[in-house]
Amino acid sequence: MGKSHEKLLNNLEEFRKAANLTQQELSESAEVSRKSINAIENGIYVPSTVLALKIARTLSCNVEELFKLPEENNI
Amino acid sequence: MTFFKRFLVLFTCGSVQVFFATYLLLELFGFGLGWHLAVHNIMFVPGVLVFFGSGYLTISYYFLSDDASNNALYDEFTALRYYKLATAGYVINGIGIFMLYSAQDWSSWSFELANNMIYQIAAFAWLTFGALLVWFSVGDYRESKSG
Repeated sequence: MGKSHEKLLNNLEEFRKAANLTQQELSESAEVSRKSINAIENGIYVPSTVLALKIARTLSCNVEELFKLPEENNI
Repeated sequence: MTFFKRFLVLFTCGSVQVFFATYLLLELFGFGLGWHLAVHNIMFVPGVLVFFGSGYLTISYYFLSDDASNNALYDEFTALRYYKLATAGYVINGIGIFMLYSAQDWSSWSFELANNMIYQIAAFAWLTFGALLVWFSVGDYRESKSG
């Protein structure tokens, strides 16, 4: 897990780099600003459901692979 | 529309607003500035700028920009930034109004003092939201440099 929000852990940076995409390219595909992608990766911002689904679609993965609730890590 | 253009519009509106609001507040509190605005109609400038600035942003959203630009400029994270700053503005205004009320001379209250207080409150709100507008615009400037 990368840098994460206290309420939501994320793997976005790893998945984005694995897909060989820049933040700018991912933001254009997900129809948001580059700043939003940067804020999500750094755990500053928790995305909406629609945005999370758009990002997952772009990265060809499930939302659950990108984002996890903190308690799931302790199970 | 780009982040840099929006920065220019918002920064201009905000900084002009801060200048006039600060001037008005200092005048109302009786500080000797040593100079005065000679043409009082110039006090309309911040309002006119905000009117045309917001008009330009609206027109550019609906008629001048493509979807890709609008998606980036008006996404949910930007909305959250705007919401947080507006909330901060209301909080600061609440504290400011409380302080302005506390600073009044209630023992010799008059319509003139009441009128003055209303101007003080208006100028303070104007200053607060002008400063927050500048703050918001700085975010756009940073994005224009790193985006």
